[in-house]
Amino acid sequence: MQWIASKAGFDEVFGRGSAPRPHYAALLSILESFTLEDVTRRERLQRLALMNQGITFTVYGEKEGLERIFPFDFVPRIIPAAEWKQLQDGLVQRITALNLFLLDIYQDQKCLRDRVIPSELVFSRREYKRELRGVVPPRKIFTHVVGTDIIRDGEGRYHVLEDNCRVPSGVSYVLENRTLLNRVFPEFFASYPVRPINDYPSLLLETLLHAAPRASQSPVTVVLSPGIHNSAYFEHSFLAREMGVPLVEGRDLLVEGNRVFMRRTHGKRQVDVIYRRVDDEFLDPLTFRRDSMLGVPGLLNVYREGNVVLANAPGCGVADDKSVYAFMPDLIKYYLDEEPLLSQVPTYLGFRKDDLRYITEHADRLVIKTTGDAGGYGMLMGPFAPKKEIEAYLAQVRKNPGNYIAQPLVDLSSHPTHVEGRFEPRRIDLRPFILYGDRIRVLPGGLTRVALRPGSYVVNSSQGGGSKDTWVLAAREP
Amino acid sequence: MILSRVADGLYWMGRYLERSENTARLLLVTEEMSTEVFGLDEDLARAEWRDLAEIFPGPAVPERLGRHVGGLAAATLQALTFSPSHANSVYFSLKRARDNARTVREALTVEVFVNLNETYQDLEAQAGRRLNDTPAFRAALSAAHRGILSTVGAIEHTLTRDPGLLFLRLGESMERLYRAATVLRTKLPALVAPEPKVDLPLLHMRWRALLRGLSSLENFRHSYGARLEPLEVLHFLLFDPHAPRSLRYGTTAVKDVLDRLSGTGEPSAPARLMGRLASELTYRGDEVIQRGEYLTFLDAVLDGVTKAHEALSTLYFGT
Repeated sequence: MQWIASKAGFDEVFGRGSAPRPHYAALLSILESFTLEDVTRRERLQRLALMNQGITFTVYGEKEGLERIFPFDFVPRIIPAAEWKQLQDGLVQRITALNLFLLDIYQDQKCLRDRVIPSELVFSRREYKRELRGVVPPRKIFTHVVGTDIIRDGEGRYHVLEDNCRVPSGVSYVLENRTLLNRVFPEFFASYPVRPINDYPSLLLETLLHAAPRASQSPVTVVLSPGIHNSAYFEHSFLAREMGVPLVEGRDLLVEGNRVFMRRTHGKRQVDVIYRRVDDEFLDPLTFRRDSMLGVPGLLNVYREGNVVLANAPGCGVADDKSVYAFMPDLIKYYLDEEPLLSQVPTYLGFRKDDLRYITEHADRLVIKTTGDAGGYGMLMGPFAPKKEIEAYLAQVRKNPGNYIAQPLVDLSSHPTHVEGRFEPRRIDLRPFILYGDRIRVLPGGLTRVALRPGSYVVNSSQGGGSKDTWVLAAREP
Repeated sequence: MILSRVADGLYWMGRYLERSENTARLLLVTEEMSTEVFGLDEDLARAEWRDLAEIFPGPAVPERLGRHVGGLAAATLQALTFSPSHANSVYFSLKRARDNARTVREALTVEVFVNLNETYQDLEAQAGRRLNDTPAFRAALSAAHRGILSTVGAIEHTLTRDPGLLFLRLGESMERLYRAATVLRTKLPALVAPEPKVDLPLLHMRWRALLRGLSSLENFRHSYGARLEPLEVLHFLLFDPHAPRSLRYGTTAVKDVLDRLSGTGEPSAPARLMGRLASELTYRGDEVIQRGEYLTFLDAVLDGVTKAHEALSTLYFGT
């Protein structure tokens, strides 16, 4: 087997002099014991399992209903216990602050009065919902589920790249990747104390029920999906199945007497908690987009009355806006009186005049992003873009600068990835999933996404990314 | 009780799964029959393919291909096995069954979905290749047929006994009943004609093919022996209380599911419709056989099934 260490950025597996890091040594020696034929055969089994089990996602912009396998690389990413502890503590701190921020801007707006963050920036965000000012969600929890994207710089330091507070996806692949790796390469597990993750669905259900309005009775929870054509439909269905709750679409629900009900074959039934995987804009045509066919007319009124829980709470998208992100370190200090445990990438705001000038003058060195998009859409990779493309992009930035931010290009860490009999470095990131119920819990591991194209920085599944199983080791290490 | 949308999805999954099985089975039987009789009676071979096109309507075979039986057979095999645009092809029905299964996956078990998905994926992979001879077609069809039956087995073995399973069974039974009645309605006029146009051995072969096409040859032999008396075959396929593809059994199966869905209260509108049909099939068998009124009777069955489908869609799916 041929292993190639990364020439640029941080290599997750190989340290100085291309010696394997201690926590990878056992894995490498197991892999060395395989022949190329073994590996190829098992990879074929792995692809077949993904296809037969329908573990797929839908790609937008291609012909309708095109299902793709989310490519899976069998070389697991390993995170030692001590490293994970730092990440976990940082994430708990960050999610605590995010929720306090959301509560504040929809209530007293103290942080705006104290000028921790400019009020015009908050109010100009499309994701800030004025309609929800004064509405306090049950137990004051806005983000029941968050997926925070983490990257490592050239020195191996972890940084938060962005928070996904609206409808973060990917956790089904985390669970399926573990099952798949276990089935196809069981030998890997013998030498490592890998922390289990398969209790996620029950923790998610517990998290959702924690906020239920009718706690004394038996609350009814559902997963609300936009339907089969949504790119994450597999995940919606997977989570509903794993939690043992109904998967519903907007047309399955109706509002009567300020309560939400499911339409069933033999009458209706009240719903208490909706784990919604539908964006705010489409939730309720009477409050948000009138043309929405995915939502439930009157749903927001029921929510305001406290008769149903929406998880995550509508309006929480403002917290993961890419320009609000720039203020997170200040917000952590402001609400918790603590230094941020996790660092983040320096961010220039189109919203600020000086920053805008810097962005336009240094676009060829920056990654410029729209503030409200996700999935790698609406982004310019300055260092790799032709001049013409940069000019065209900057013209858009100048029209609506508040809608853009820029960050220096961080050379993401690399991880060996199997490519036709060789292990080549490919860039990766990490999306841990954080649940906020009776307390904040971080699923040990998360989704490691891989940029499968050589040299690429883009890890998004919609743009040629794949994934790996992510192992967090228990404190007892090999 | 379950969501109306989920009930709808399961009902159609059951219908399409059954339809795909029916198409695969009848294709295999027709192909074999046509190959066997081609040298003896080319018109009869052609008629078999035409009947099949009537049972599973879809785009017509182009004139130039339909001129020779070989061309007609090849074109029909291709269309009814792999065509994505023929609404009755095995591929189309399996795809629809799978699409419905995907929308209600949380109501299914992994075993059911994986069996169905694998069968679909295998057939899709075959569709991409050019199958250049009949044995290759037969192999692909037989594999799909086995996959479908294995999915049905997974349904029986792994799904919880709840209303979801009832709606799946309802779809399956409705489709089976409708398709069996359609097969009989298409085939009987030539078979019961006072002066059949073919020799007796060939006529025997056609009755045999009819029984095989409805998965009933072995069951018939258990009841009546190997001799194929047309009236006995007719009685068996229409009025036998135990044969799984007889109209009487099929109607009772649909009625039983509808009664269970109605619960202890008054029978629902579709249950009443099927109840009426079931009593006709139970008590009027001898009369229909004596008077030779098979075709009118079959029209009434097809009409009853269509009405019951409409009534249950309105009642349970709100469509």
